[in-house]
Amino acid sequence: MAETLKTTSVGSFPKPPSLVKARQRFRRQEISLQDLRVAEQEATKEVIRLQETLGIDVLVHGEMERGDMVAYFAENWQGFTESLPVRSYGNRYYHKPVVTDRVNYQGPTGLTVESWRAAQAQTKKPIKGMLTGPYTICDWSFNDFYPDRRSLIFDLAHLVHQEAMALAAAGAEYIQIDEPAISTRPQELDLAIEAMEIVTRNLPAHTISHICYGDFDAIYPALLDLPVKQLDLEAANGQFQLLEILRRVPWPKDKELAIGVVDVHSHRLESVDEVKAGILRALEIVPADHLYIDPDCGLKTRTWEEAVQKLTVIQHAVDQVRKEEGLK
Amino acid sequence: MRITTLGSYPKIPADNGPSVRTAIQRFERRSIGLTQLEQTIRDRTHHVIQLAETHRLDVTSDGMIRWNDMFDGVVRDVDNVQSAGLLRFLDNNFYYRHPLVRGRLSFQGGVVRWWLTQAVALSTVPLKAVLPGPFTFLQLSQDDSYHNRQALLDDVVEVLRLEANSLLDTGIQEIQWDEPALAYYPEWNIREVKETLTTLTKNLSVTQSLALYWGSGIHRWIEPLATSGFSRLYLDAVSDTEVVPRLRAEPLPVEVGLGLIDARQVKKESVSELVKQLEPILRVQGESRVWLHPNGGLELLPPDHAEGKVHVLSQVRDAVVTAPRNGGLR
Ligand SMILES: [Zn+2]
Repeated sequence: MAETLKTTSVGSFPKPPSLVKARQRFRRQEISLQDLRVAEQEATKEVIRLQETLGIDVLVHGEMERGDMVAYFAENWQGFTESLPVRSYGNRYYHKPVVTDRVNYQGPTGLTVESWRAAQAQTKKPIKGMLTGPYTICDWSFNDFYPDRRSLIFDLAHLVHQEAMALAAAGAEYIQIDEPAISTRPQELDLAIEAMEIVTRNLPAHTISHICYGDFDAIYPALLDLPVKQLDLEAANGQFQLLEILRRVPWPKDKELAIGVVDVHSHRLESVDEVKAGILRALEIVPADHLYIDPDCGLKTRTWEEAVQKLTVIQHAVDQVRKEEGLK
Repeated sequence: MRITTLGSYPKIPADNGPSVRTAIQRFERRSIGLTQLEQTIRDRTHHVIQLAETHRLDVTSDGMIRWNDMFDGVVRDVDNVQSAGLLRFLDNNFYYRHPLVRGRLSFQGGVVRWWLTQAVALSTVPLKAVLPGPFTFLQLSQDDSYHNRQALLDDVVEVLRLEANSLLDTGIQEIQWDEPALAYYPEWNIREVKETLTTLTKNLSVTQSLALYWGSGIHRWIEPLATSGFSRLYLDAVSDTEVVPRLRAEPLPVEVGLGLIDARQVKKESVSELVKQLEPILRVQGESRVWLHPNGGLELLPPDHAEGKVHVLSQVRDAVVTAPRNGGLR
């Protein structure tokens, strides 16, 4: 039987103009929370429709209800205070949360379940449950309460674990726990791995972790010890130099790799040929049925049109590779 | 004791002042024009300078409001290097476009010079230029052309010297070279660094300083770089706890700056604790030769906290000035 080569997405999608407007109006108290939720659901439907039209295999819900992947949890959990925005690059800003008390749930667990369930109801294809990992939530917050990073990370790990269990109980087959900050401090990699062990312990799901924009050179192959089934890494942004790092050791049989083949921080539209070349290079390292193809990172910084174009290029490139290599 | 800030400053207001963020958004939506965008950037720069005036900083940067990251201005001034993909800036949740070297570097100039000319015109406080040092440039860029580290380093040094030279008549009073990579990464050839930085600073007729921050390897540079042509060393004493004991131990042939104010955490420092830490250093190095500053640019903080840190700087300075001192070293 022919091997399969699958496509997926990392997480966020651009918010359609109608939702951007609804969010602004909600902030100005011109519409109710209920109205905002309706707008988010409409946008989610559009995100799923797009992915289905393109033929993507494992879908995301697009995070229409989230502003930022860390701030979203900080806003909904106890122990955090919101700060004024901090710039992350270019003209992009985020509200970097401040930990001012012990972190905990505010109400019942399962913050992310409702949006996952609503999205999954739209499609027969699997939708990933999307979480942010404890190491990244800690690293992208100011700590004004805990005596050290370790104690904050472990408290967060227990919260993320509960959240993951709630998603699994709701039926999420794929659960992604993003840890983009994990590549920040090689000396803390073990701590991040320990925290992920807490998150994924007894979790009945296909686990994934997305990691991007860091010094992979310093953490590879140690990163393979991260207790998740699939690593989702960005490669296009660095002209696929990541693949040379991955060549260092044979790719483990029990791990999957999702590889980013278009740069999400560039307006430039990649050609099908260059994306195809990247996929073929990845296939030299990881067998097709352990490989997923996706964009480098979340698409939220692109316009809707740019996101569609980039995903279309990926799909065309994957189709050609499938045909030429006899894959499904 | 004198006080200064190190470089970047938030481009958005703590209250309802001019916001470069909003102006850029409006500019991109075409609801304002070039002139209005330019005016907002100037207003924001002016705010940074006013803050320096209010808190009586001895030297200030212009807040680097126009820079996207520490390489931005220089990359615009140099031919055959471009701003490429985003990379994490050392261990921060901040991303810079890494310089991609595509041919032999040559100096075009004009951009940083124009930016600083504008800032100097707004300022009554002595203003410094902040430029990336050659080793940080080399470490955080990608070479697609030279394939020869030494040849590239030599050209980087030369191009940075040309940049520095082009700034001399803008009215700036100091050039601060930033070398976070020397603090952050462990493996350097100390002799090579010392020789290269001596070449970099040679015969430039302006006060030059070196800023080392965000790493635990700062203390080992103090001795070798105290005699490399810099008038002062700005040292991050938060990330490297060895810095304070070193400065307490013996006087140095260079002015020293202590980055004891944490520019990456919102927690507010205690003024009395800081004074206590500084006292022995003031005694050993001499009060007029010691500076206090944050341990990096303030742009990694929300604007209200950034402003708070500048306030702490001035409070510590005032407390040191009025503190009774045995032996009266002032
Ligand atoms: Zn990412």
